[in-house]
Amino acid sequence: MDFLLDGFFQAFQLLLSGNAETYSAIGATVKVSTYSMGCSLLIGIPLGFCLGHFNFRWKKPVRTIVDTLMALPTVFIGLLVYAFLTHRGPLGDYNLLFTLPGIAIGQTILALPIVIGLSATAVESMDQKLRVMIMSMGANRRQLFLSTLWESRHGLLAGAIAAYGRVMTEVGISMMVGGNIKWHTRTITTAIALETNKGLFGMGVALGLVLLAIAFLVNVSVSFLRRRY
Amino acid sequence: MSLPIYTINSLKQSYAGKPVLEIDRLTIQPASIVGLIGPNGSGKSSLLRILGLIERPAQGKILFNGRPAEPFSDDVRFQITLLPQEPFLLKRSVFNNVSYGLKLRGGGEDVVQKVNQALSLVGLADKDFAQRPWYALSGGEMQRVALASRLVLKPNVLLLDEPTASVDAASAQLIKEASLQVRRESGTTLIVASHDWQWLYEICDEILHLFQGKIFGTGRETIIFGPWQKLETGHWGKILSDKQHLCVPAPPSQGAAAVMDVLSLGDDGSAVERDEIVLKGTVSRLSLERKTGHIFATILAGDVAFTVRLTPQQNEKHNVFPGKIIDIRYRLNQIKWV
Repeated sequence: MDFLLDGFFQAFQLLLSGNAETYSAIGATVKVSTYSMGCSLLIGIPLGFCLGHFNFRWKKPVRTIVDTLMALPTVFIGLLVYAFLTHRGPLGDYNLLFTLPGIAIGQTILALPIVIGLSATAVESMDQKLRVMIMSMGANRRQLFLSTLWESRHGLLAGAIAAYGRVMTEVGISMMVGGNIKWHTRTITTAIALETNKGLFGMGVALGLVLLAIAFLVNVSVSFLRRRY
Repeated sequence: MSLPIYTINSLKQSYAGKPVLEIDRLTIQPASIVGLIGPNGSGKSSLLRILGLIERPAQGKILFNGRPAEPFSDDVRFQITLLPQEPFLLKRSVFNNVSYGLKLRGGGEDVVQKVNQALSLVGLADKDFAQRPWYALSGGEMQRVALASRLVLKPNVLLLDEPTASVDAASAQLIKEASLQVRRESGTTLIVASHDWQWLYEICDEILHLFQGKIFGTGRETIIFGPWQKLETGHWGKILSDKQHLCVPAPPSQGAAAVMDVLSLGDDGSAVERDEIVLKGTVSRLSLERKTGHIFATILAGDVAFTVRLTPQQNEKHNVFPGKIIDIRYRLNQIKWV
């Protein structure tokens, strides 16, 4: 077990000394997850709201599809995105394969069903009583939409956190679509996988600690926001 | 007579294909108090939601002040407000809950003063009360805050769905007084669904009785629900809990409800006629219809409550008082089925 302990010491050394390779992987992860979360929240929250708020003919089948897609395996998404972005694929001309935007596309596909599904659940769980209350106050459609969105904010935030958790910890998409290229598309998770394969636990543990720290920071921020609003 | 504030024509509502409301025509006069009574599931709440423009009917039109109205209509949404049976407060302070509707309408001046006035109306004038969070309120306080958040809007129409159903006597009294005060001061039209018949008889200009989604009377009728059985005497009817036989004509179905709107008290010594049925009951409650001076006597025969409308003279003649055992008479041919 000594190698694990050594790994922890090495981890602090790497982080405190500002090791460029470590910080490159951290930077790539933060950048790509910001892209993918930004896109999935922008698209997913309005779609999730519509799915939860409105009653339409195909609502149940759509809900079942969204719930199924919430469990999409990351390697399968990686495979599909790879097939689309490769030079022989339909989006090959955009040269997105082995780039951070390419990974972000895959991660958006991963996060989107989670954001849509959990947003829909959050809006649905806001009782019918909320709608009656807001409408009885004389709200117009826009005010009803905004008030319902605001009142379901905690549920929406929980959905965003769950999606962020999946995006931050996935390996399959980053590995297949990004190619794990050093200084370029190597993310925290692909670096951990590579360094562990090489027997370099120090770097792996360091990056694992960073992942934990980011998760901790995000949760502390969310708790603060919940208390504040 | 002035232009009705509400006119409803051929209204139908259904949920998941099940009809819940069917009203051919209904008019409500401005500044009147209308009571809605009827058993659970009779369509009272559905009617209030439609009148409150919360939901659209499956069929039919609603005219508000003679003009078609529907949910989100700009010219009426600020005039009507509904207080549902179970209060719902936003996850905010009392002040923010009461001022929420004002903010939706652009705030206006003196929001603090208006909120304090509305809270005073419902007996929650304590200075610190407005700052309490939503989770620190009792059921009665929640209902009163919910009412205050409607009263602050000074609506033209206030729809109340069982406003006193789940609150204590003191809260109920405050809610009743506040509702009447806003009507007195602002000429608000009040439409109230309640099981508190006594209160409705006292305050209402008109009472509508709903049963299975239809308006079929004025609330003064006695309704007796099935199932019905063939009695030993050969009549159709049911055996009451005190073993008396309640006879009815042959019902159209086992579950049909019998409506009796002509009942009389029968200890005047006159002979019982051929198709007349006499039951012995105990007077359990007396209510005054303030508008006409009539008395409504509720008489319990077994587990069935009969309502008899008495003129002041009849009341004096029969000397009706709670606890008195008295005969009720009705004729089989005066029973209607719904």
